[in-house]
Amino acid sequence: MRVLVVHAHPNPESYNAALFRRTVEGLNARGHEVDACDLHEEDFQPVLTRAERVGYHAIPANRAPVENHVRRLERAEALVLVYPVWNFGLPAILKGYFDRVFLPGVSFKLMEGRVQPNLHHIRKLVVVTTYGGPRWRAFLVGDPPRKYATRVLRSLIKPTATARYLAHYDMNRSTELTRAAFLGRLDKALAGF
Amino acid sequence: MRVLVVYTHPCEESFNAALRDGAMSALAEAGHETRLLDLYAMCFDPVLSAQGRRDYHTPGENEAGVEDHLEHLRWCEALVFIYPTWWYGPPAMLKGWLDRVWIPHATFRMPEPNRPIGRVLTNIRVIGAISTLGSPKWWWWIMGAPGRRTLLTGLSMLCAPCCRTFWLGLHQMDSQDQASRADFLARVKHKLLRLS
Repeated sequence: MRVLVVHAHPNPESYNAALFRRTVEGLNARGHEVDACDLHEEDFQPVLTRAERVGYHAIPANRAPVENHVRRLERAEALVLVYPVWNFGLPAILKGYFDRVFLPGVSFKLMEGRVQPNLHHIRKLVVVTTYGGPRWRAFLVGDPPRKYATRVLRSLIKPTATARYLAHYDMNRSTELTRAAFLGRLDKALAGF
Repeated sequence: MRVLVVYTHPCEESFNAALRDGAMSALAEAGHETRLLDLYAMCFDPVLSAQGRRDYHTPGENEAGVEDHLEHLRWCEALVFIYPTWWYGPPAMLKGWLDRVWIPHATFRMPEPNRPIGRVLTNIRVIGAISTLGSPKWWWWIMGAPGRRTLLTGLSMLCAPCCRTFWLGLHQMDSQDQASRADFLARVKHKLLRLS
């Protein structure tokens, strides 16, 4: 399977970066064709510019500024995201990836004013994430990043696709044990590819 | 009341810019003291860097580069966001403002065993969001309104215990005519004239 793994943590020494490496190694070991996209490493610019906003609906010229990322997304049969939840949302660099790469004509089409999903070539979605706070606190806020993955992204990919949301909550009070257990959960999920 | 308006849109000719101007004049008319942060105009860098992440938990050091923004947050009693909703949330520019400015010690206290996160910015007692959205309202609710939850519910948990929130959203922005945009602008002004 061709898997695009998108990662968004600035610190290579972080637990999140370890999750990213484990994901890429695990998928490689199982013979998948992995495209590892570390947004910080690739110095991705997340800010949609004025020119991009003005040309947003001009298909296909709108993809020119992010052509490379669009091509990689269009090749993918599975999408894996590895990132930390910050302030109950995605890190800006990952939010900007959606702002700039998930364009009309790429991730959706406008047909008579209605949005039609356009990522039907993606038949598996896995999100691997870490939260600073406990799950009850995320629940009180309505867990927006979980909704983002399981509803917004889910709605764009193949209708029969499988989606997994793996989250290590309460990182602020995590221990060796909880982190190791979560790596185990990740391994199991990767085995399901 | 002291009101901090955080505005995010790359285009000066956009409807969001008109909302910003309408909001600022309504606030001034109501006698509020205002400050405006235009994140695009100030070329705010929304990306928390590797070093920024390493210093994230160190009091003082984690404020490097965002001291002015923190001063604005300590000054205001109301915080109003004006932005377009892109992909069901704030633009990366605005999300990065949260990532870099809403940092531990300065805006909240890290939880201790059996104690939740502590509020620091108790001077903020109103948070509002004014946004334009491409999606219809019913679909926005099915998707779970993630951007609204992040900005209003998430941040209000760090502000005054009785912090109120308000949301004004103009849906199906791509097919709205002049009249409905004018209506929405009037709603925004009406709300801000009565802000308390």
